[in-house]
This record gives sequence, structure tokens and C-alpha cells, in this order.
Amino acid sequence: MDSRVVNKGQLPELLDKLARDHILVAPVREEENITLFKRVSGASEVQLDYITSDVSPKGWIFPQTEKTLSYTYTGDTLEMKEPDAPPKTILFGVRPCDVRSILALDPVFEGKFLDTFYLERRKNTVIIGLSCKTILSTCFCTAFNSGPCDGTGADLMFTELGDKYYVEVNTEKGKSLVEAYSQYFLKEDTEKLAKAKEEQAKKLEGQFTRKVDLDGVKKVLDENFELPYWEKVFRKCLGCGICTYVCPTCHCFDIFDYTTGEFTGNRFRCWDSCMFPDFTLMAGGHNPRPSRKERVRNRFMHKLKYHMDRYNLDGCVGCGRCIAKCPVNIDITQIIKDLKEVGQNA
Amino acid sequence: MDVIQQLREQAKKLLEEKKVDMVIGFGEGTELARTTPVFITNPEEVSALTWGPLCANNLVKYLLDYQNLPGNIAVVVKGCDSRAINRLVTDNQINRDKVVVLGVPCPGQLDWRVVAAAADPAAKLKGFSDDGESFTIKTDAGDYRFDKKESMLPRCLVCENPNPVVSDITIGKEQPVRNYKERFADVIALEQLGTEEKSAYWDKQFSRCLRCYACRNVCPVCTCRTCVFDQMQPMWVSKRNNLSENTAFHLIRAFHVAGRCIDCGECDRVCPVDIPLRNLNQKIQKDLKDLFNAPTPGSEAGLASPLGEFATGDPEEFM
Repeated sequence: MDSRVVNKGQLPELLDKLARDHILVAPVREEENITLFKRVSGASEVQLDYITSDVSPKGWIFPQTEKTLSYTYTGDTLEMKEPDAPPKTILFGVRPCDVRSILALDPVFEGKFLDTFYLERRKNTVIIGLSCKTILSTCFCTAFNSGPCDGTGADLMFTELGDKYYVEVNTEKGKSLVEAYSQYFLKEDTEKLAKAKEEQAKKLEGQFTRKVDLDGVKKVLDENFELPYWEKVFRKCLGCGICTYVCPTCHCFDIFDYTTGEFTGNRFRCWDSCMFPDFTLMAGGHNPRPSRKERVRNRFMHKLKYHMDRYNLDGCVGCGRCIAKCPVNIDITQIIKDLKEVGQNA
Repeated sequence: MDVIQQLREQAKKLLEEKKVDMVIGFGEGTELARTTPVFITNPEEVSALTWGPLCANNLVKYLLDYQNLPGNIAVVVKGCDSRAINRLVTDNQINRDKVVVLGVPCPGQLDWRVVAAAADPAAKLKGFSDDGESFTIKTDAGDYRFDKKESMLPRCLVCENPNPVVSDITIGKEQPVRNYKERFADVIALEQLGTEEKSAYWDKQFSRCLRCYACRNVCPVCTCRTCVFDQMQPMWVSKRNNLSENTAFHLIRAFHVAGRCIDCGECDRVCPVDIPLRNLNQKIQKDLKDLFNAPTPGSEAGLASPLGEFATGDPEEFM
């Protein structure tokens, strides 16, 4: 693996150039307290000191609303047109948990049926990761064998160390970007920086307050679909979709056709949420998940069991967004703890 | 005896005497700065109840979910929450006879994010004190002082009813009404903007909306059995997330709660992307006040909705 150095003072110029040549998506502050991944026209818009974005950047690969085809009926023929291929996009400043989440999404869309919409965007996106500098009280990525400086999955991984960024070049995509902008990616002796990064990672790992131990949790869920415990958890759930919409690994969608005229229309896919009652509502009126109990259970089963069953990957990356955003303090780390206890008492 | 002790005793008594089957209150959360709704059915479990300046949730909403259980329900309410009781009774959404209101005068509620950012996340809560101007959160890792004006939820700065307007059992000392700023200051500031600027302002806000519907689900006066936004046939507002659909969602919702919104500010608090939804509802409230001298919905029992009344002597010609 190759590694380079970007001088901190030169980062704005690099970002300006990237924004000029490609679609550059980076963390942007909106209003007082909100950080979102948005397209930027230059470095001045980028919020480098953000901690966790309020909504994950997954929408740039799996958009909340995506046109999948448009159609025109001419009287005797039906013409269908697929959307144009997505443009090359650079996602800059993605935190390790959010990079990890994209790795969790990949096998969903690249299974038996290839989801070309996702895969095209994925192919055309270069992911530049950015190591964390601050650990929030809601963070728990270390529970999933990741960490605040984990570059797994990123094409390039930036770590701020003093007045430099230590850059790990992890993939061919990353390599070609480095080559195209080689005047910014300096070939220096990076051995010291690599060590400094390791030390920083260790230091940060000591700052996590949520100690989450997943051992035995999946076993409890494997053996128990019904648990009296869920009766307790679901009561306070308001049934909103915050947890699923801010989650970087949630990936359910619904498909709709919208007519734009008598003979024309578009087909869209839009994010959907298993917390909504109509998510599993059947055409005949039956709903296999009739109450919030079944819906809440499903969400945690998906995060802690189903994803692992299907793809041998964790369905949660420990970003902590659902904890921070839930209006009633439903906390996945508490649920993990409680389920563990349920297993021990069984 | 402090409020928490009294709350627990009252809850225990109500459950033991079978006056209620469930007590809905605030319990300790999973972090220092948070509390969580608790549903207590066993008198032995009343120690789960807590109280303090981190109890922002309006628990009245849960009455809609659990009112059809066989027994009565006791619910812990602050002043703002209590307006929801009146409003829901007027709307025939809850049966007043089935509800025991545990009213707690409220000294104001802190924005938990401000507390979480300042305090040691590993600290354990020991209690809180209130000197009128500020709260002190006491923990095993030290005390943290929060100036009320700086750290309270926006709604608390203009609180009309720190004391519950309806209560069966009141716990704690009466709190003074203190306005830290003009009640409609934010709305007045927005009113000063030109049409284009207003439009740009709201476009920017609504384009952030995730359509998670937390604002609707937390709203105590959103009581429709099937919400128009969940209706599939016809689909009035689609699942597409774009400015047009998002705007339609927020405006329909604002108009649907017009004259009924009790201004508890929960929509504002729960929005994951900080859309200032309360401004939208407050604008309607301000207009209703200006036009009809209408009090805040729910502030008195049996208060009619200014938009839900019909008078034959109405001077408006279209009537």
C-alpha cells in the first residue's frame, strides 16, 4: 500500500481543483448545528472540523429519491428510457463508520440481482475517508472491529497529523486520483506519520464511553423470535422514521410510477422505513407487522442478525446517529446490553 | 421531600389503590443528558420515575396509544404538555375520566445536546438544582452550570404556562412565569422579510426535510387514524423527497393543526435536521391571536377552536 502526504495549507487548493474537475461532495454546515453531505463548489464551503454528519452520506450512492426510468406512450409503442449514467463523483471527508456502511450496503445491491443504479454510482464514486479527531458520547464503532482512524473501504484515507494529512492510498481508484493531482500528494517518508496515526488511533480508542459487547447477542436472536423483552422496548417508540433515515446501513426502498401527462411518466424509487405501518401492508389489507412491537423488533433483528445471516457482515457500524436522534432515547447499545442479559438469564 | 420522591409515592399509591393501571412518566435515559419515557404498571417499579430539566418529551401523546387499555392511566405533564390534555379532551380524543394528570410545575427544559456537549459523557447524574437563572447538573464527575437563557429549549424562553393548566395531583412548587424574550419574536423577524426572501428561507429549510414524519408522530394533536400522508390511494403527497413534496407535507400539516396546535414545540425539538417548524405553527397562532384574540389552544378547558366554530352572526359576508 502506497502512502502520501498533503500539506494542510494546500488542502483548500486541492479541494478547489477537485470541485472544478468533478462533482465534489463534502460535509457542509447548514444553519447552526446541522452538517450534511452536499455538493460543493470549492474548499470554502467544506466543514473540515465536523464530527458526525447529521445524515449519513449514503444518499450519494443510494439516493433518497431516484428516477429509474421514464416512459412515453406514442399511441402504438411504449418507449422507455433509463436515466443517464451518473457522473464521476468524489465523496470527500467520509468518516470511517460511514465508509464501513457502504461496504455493508455493497452485497445487498450486488447479489443475485445486480442493482445497476447503485452499482453505477458506486463505480463512479471515489471515497476519500477522513479519520476522526473527536469521539462523541454516542459513538461505538469499536464494537464492530473498526475505529476512528480505520481506512477500510476508503479509496484514499486522510488522517490529520499536525500540519499534514497522512494519506493512505488503498485502491486503484485512489491511486489514479493521486496521480492526476500529484503536485498535492507529496512523496515523503511516511513511516513516522504511519506511526503517529497508530498512536492517535489508540489514544482516540481510549475515549469511547460506550463499551458495547456483542458476544452472545446474535445467539439470543437466532434462538428467540419472540421475546417478552420487545414488549418493553416498543412502548415508547413513536413510529417515526428518524432511525432508519439517518442510518448509514438502512437500504429499504419503495417503487412508484408518476404520470407527468396523459402518456408520459417516470418511475422512482424512494427510501422507505420499516418503522412505517404501510411498509409491510399487503394489497389485501393484511399486515404481518401490525404493531410497533413487530416493527421495532424487525429493525433490531435486521441490524444485529439478518444482515449477518445474509452477508456475514455487521448490519450496524456504530455511528450512533439513531441514538443521538431518537426523540425518546431508544438506544441500540442499551438493547444490545439487555439482549445479552436476556441470553444469560435464559 | 423533593419532586422525584413525591412523584414516586403518588405513582405507587395510584397503582396500589388500583386507581390507575399504568403510570407514564420520565425515567433515567441511557446518557447523563437524557431521559426516556417509562410505562410503569407495577407499584414496585416506581423508582424508575425521575424528574428534572431534561424531561422535554410531551408524554400526553402516548395517551392516544394506550387509552383503550382497560384501566385508567396516570401521566406526568409539564405546563406546556397539560394544554394537550385540554385540547384532546375537547377533540373527544381522550376520555378525561380515564386519565389522572400528575402535573409538575416546570422550571424550564434544557436542550440535552448542550448538556451532552459540556458534560463528561461517563459521568453519573446525582441531581440538579435551580437558582432561577441557571440549572446546575450535579454528577459524580463534578457540577455543570447551565444558564437558562443560553441553554434551554427555544420554547421554554417564551413559556406561557410553567404550571400545568390542568392537573389532578400537582407535585412541586409553583413556578413563576418568566419570559426571556417576546413570545413571537422569531415569527415577527420572519414577517419582516420580503416575499422572495421568505420563500428562499423556507425552501432552504424544507429541502433538508427527510420526511421521517417525526414531527407528525410526536405531535399530540396529530390524531388521525390514517394520516393523509400515509394514504396510498389516492396518494396526495408522494414518497419522493423533493422541495415540492416536502413543502406540501409541511404546509398541509401546519394547516391541519391550525387552531389546535398547543405550541408544545415538540416538532421543533425532534426534527433530526433542525427545521424550525415551530415558526410555522407560531405564525398561525399569532394570526389567530391578532384576528380573533384567540388564546393558545388548550390553555383553558373546553376552549373552542377559532377555526372550528360557526356563528350565524358572523360579520364575514361569505358566511
